[in-house]
Amino acid sequence: MKQAAVERHPSALAPEAALRARRRRGLAVVGVVAGGLALVAWLLSFGLSRDPQLLRSPLLGRPAPEFALPTLQGDGVVRLSDLRGRVVVLNFWASWCADCRLEHPHLLAAWDRYRERGVVFLGISFEDRRSDALAYLRELGGDWPHLWDPGSSTALAYGVYGVPETFFIGPDGRVAYKQVGPVDYELLTSQIARLLGEVEG
Amino acid sequence: MRGGARAAGVVVATALLAAGAALLAAALRGPDRPRTLEERVREVASGLRCPVCQNLSVADSPSRLAHEMRARIARDLRAGKTEEEVRAEFVRAYGEWVLLEPPRRGLSLLPWLVPGLLLAGGAGVAVALVRRWTGPSRAAGGKAEEVSARGEVPRPAWAEVPGPPPEAGPPEAGPPEGELPPRGLTEEDRRLLEEALLSLGEEPE
Repeated sequence: MKQAAVERHPSALAPEAALRARRRRGLAVVGVVAGGLALVAWLLSFGLSRDPQLLRSPLLGRPAPEFALPTLQGDGVVRLSDLRGRVVVLNFWASWCADCRLEHPHLLAAWDRYRERGVVFLGISFEDRRSDALAYLRELGGDWPHLWDPGSSTALAYGVYGVPETFFIGPDGRVAYKQVGPVDYELLTSQIARLLGEVEG
Repeated sequence: MRGGARAAGVVVATALLAAGAALLAAALRGPDRPRTLEERVREVASGLRCPVCQNLSVADSPSRLAHEMRARIARDLRAGKTEEEVRAEFVRAYGEWVLLEPPRRGLSLLPWLVPGLLLAGGAGVAVALVRRWTGPSRAAGGKAEEVSARGEVPRPAWAEVPGPPPEAGPPEAGPPEGELPPRGLTEEDRRLLEEALLSLGEEPE
């Protein structure tokens, strides 16, 4: 019986090897496609899970860009190169920025702790109206120098994405650390202490 | 004599190719006049990512910072800096993130190469498939394992239905109906086949 069926339809049973080869080839194609998709998914998961703004600043370890800016009140000019040998905390802020209000008390507390130890705090107003910036300072305090940055040229030189951003500049005039987003008291004091240790040590 | 004609043909073809290439180059370079400052600013700005608005170029962003960046590009270009120098200054502050086009080296070479590779791979697959579907020559010289006992190349079902017509006519005029068993299985055949397959599985080996 089996013989009869096979004789009448040889193609029905014959090329079992061909079938197997075909299945193997199909599996290989599916494997390659699945592998490619997995690779793309992996690359995407890697790329999309990182905040592009948190990329390491290229300024770290480099000399901080020089600036000479007038104060907001217009009562003088601050030149970064005059501050060589001191620890500088450079804080970009704006009156319209909610996170700046959040971090302001921390700046005040750190300023109170380190103002007598030669640490320089500098605020730089970012994309703001001068009157709004002055009103903000009257409301929240902070009597370290606040600077006016015409044309945002200093912000551009420091690669500022938005506010608040804070740069810690060592006594050697190099950028030691950059914080994107609000700072808190612990971060301020630990970074300042590290840079002061370099002065004393 | 024939060699001379062929050489002349090669010369003419080369000349035509060269002329075509020169025309293409001229077309790509555009009109030969000094570009205005505005055009140069736009060129630099459109290659820079606006820092405060993730996916707009500095040329397209209405934000105040982008406006100030354009002003600075204009100032630097007017001061005699090249486009490359102006770009490099922004890269020094922001890193390569600020460039909308990834640089063509290192890991960033990948997005430049992968699309081309995929395209080439896809074209290869397409060519291979088309040749497989349309090539009756495969029946004669192709893999023996795909040629069934009746001398037919098995075709996938989807190629069978509307199917491209075979390039050459059927190799031999169809034999009169009835001489060969009709295509497909009759009820009788199916029953026999099932029994055969079952008995294959049952036979102790």
